[in-house]
Amino acid sequence: MGWLLKCTVNGNPVEIEVAQDETLLTVLRDRLGLTGTKGSCLEGECGSCTVIVDGRAVNSCLVLAAQVQGSQVETIEGLEKGDTLHRLQEAFLTTGAVQCGYCTPGLIMAAKAMLDANPSPTDEEILAGLEGNICRCTGYSAIREAMRVALQEGARE
Amino acid sequence: MFYQPQDIEEALAIRAELAAAVMPVCGGTDIVVALNRTGVGAEHFLDLSHVAGYSDVRAEGNGWWLGGGATFDRIATALSDDENGGVRMLSDAAMSIGGPAIRNRGTIAGNLGTASPAGDACVALLAVDAGVELGHATRGRRVVPIVEYFTGFRETALSADELITGVRIPSGWRTGWQKIGKRGATNISVVCCGVGLSPGGHVRIAFGSVAPTVMRAREAEGMIEDCLAGVARDAAKQGGGGSTALPEDVIEAVGASAMKAVSPIDDHRASATYRRAMCGVLVRRLLREW
Repeated sequence: MGWLLKCTVNGNPVEIEVAQDETLLTVLRDRLGLTGTKGSCLEGECGSCTVIVDGRAVNSCLVLAAQVQGSQVETIEGLEKGDTLHRLQEAFLTTGAVQCGYCTPGLIMAAKAMLDANPSPTDEEILAGLEGNICRCTGYSAIREAMRVALQEGARE
Repeated sequence: MFYQPQDIEEALAIRAELAAAVMPVCGGTDIVVALNRTGVGAEHFLDLSHVAGYSDVRAEGNGWWLGGGATFDRIATALSDDENGGVRMLSDAAMSIGGPAIRNRGTIAGNLGTASPAGDACVALLAVDAGVELGHATRGRRVVPIVEYFTGFRETALSADELITGVRIPSGWRTGWQKIGKRGATNISVVCCGVGLSPGGHVRIAFGSVAPTVMRAREAEGMIEDCLAGVARDAAKQGGGGSTALPEDVIEAVGASAMKAVSPIDDHRASATYRRAMCGVLVRRLLREW
């Protein structure tokens, strides 16, 4: 039997019938066409499916879609405003922190959740905030650099 | 069917009616992993993540109350301040689980319901004599001492028609936490160890990932209790306070006893030999810091 899911995704109201065992990841990608969010390990180890639900980073592969009833869901597609990228997206681009790119949406959403809660994290807090996200190209130095640039941009704004 | 009750009594009524046919789910960090692996869901899901108050963490009476839906993030934050009577070990154990996204979703009831031998929070609860509150729609609530809660490999005292409503944590314990994993985050314990000293002089030494269930090293606990009681008697004779610092020979003996008590296995995370050795290392490390 279906479940009528009502929530917002990137600020837009969504009403969609979902199966009880469909994950948020599946609904975002296969039902709503928001393929920016990536699935990989499907067990909460890699972080590539990270989205923000009610202000907190979650692994969308481990959330049943029906559970986000009434929630505000943010995905990578929601960061860009018109033609302007979010400062995290800009920073990842300018520092070359994107290699194969598969981990990037999850990393950026984890970073956004962290910065929304704590706008000026220390280096240690940045590492802790991103510890659930794995880059298998191992481009961690560039990712740290991207975070540094994004924070500078944030301070300037 | 997917049930999403807003209050705990409604949740208990659904569970009592459907029992084993319904799968309680809250954070989903264990249950949805299994669902993703097998593709097999449950006939019915009982979503507890919308139950009012279920995720509360609060000081209560002579200790703390953790609602079953308390996330590891919330527990880590609420119990981090020892000076205000928090239980630092529980906070440290909660912080050692997963990464931020897992800690934002994973719950104490989930850790107890899964009852993995590697359940970090289960080990921490075992080391402070926590009480697990189980609820039933008509039979009411019962508190099961944590030591009686784990009955076998992934088996517990929870009946199929009950829900884990919350956990009671005593106050005033001195505690310590150590975990060894393959990396710093999102890792399952190779070995973890929690120690607790109650205000009344009881000692608890708990291990994870070294037996079919989380377990206590009782002989080792008794050795420390005897030692502390002896120190207290001597101190009383001399009119002094008595130290809880343990002599090195006792610490060594406790470590050796703990290594004998555990029954680890070889698997892809570590060998039994390594796990056994690390039990000694972790408990000695914790006791030297007391």
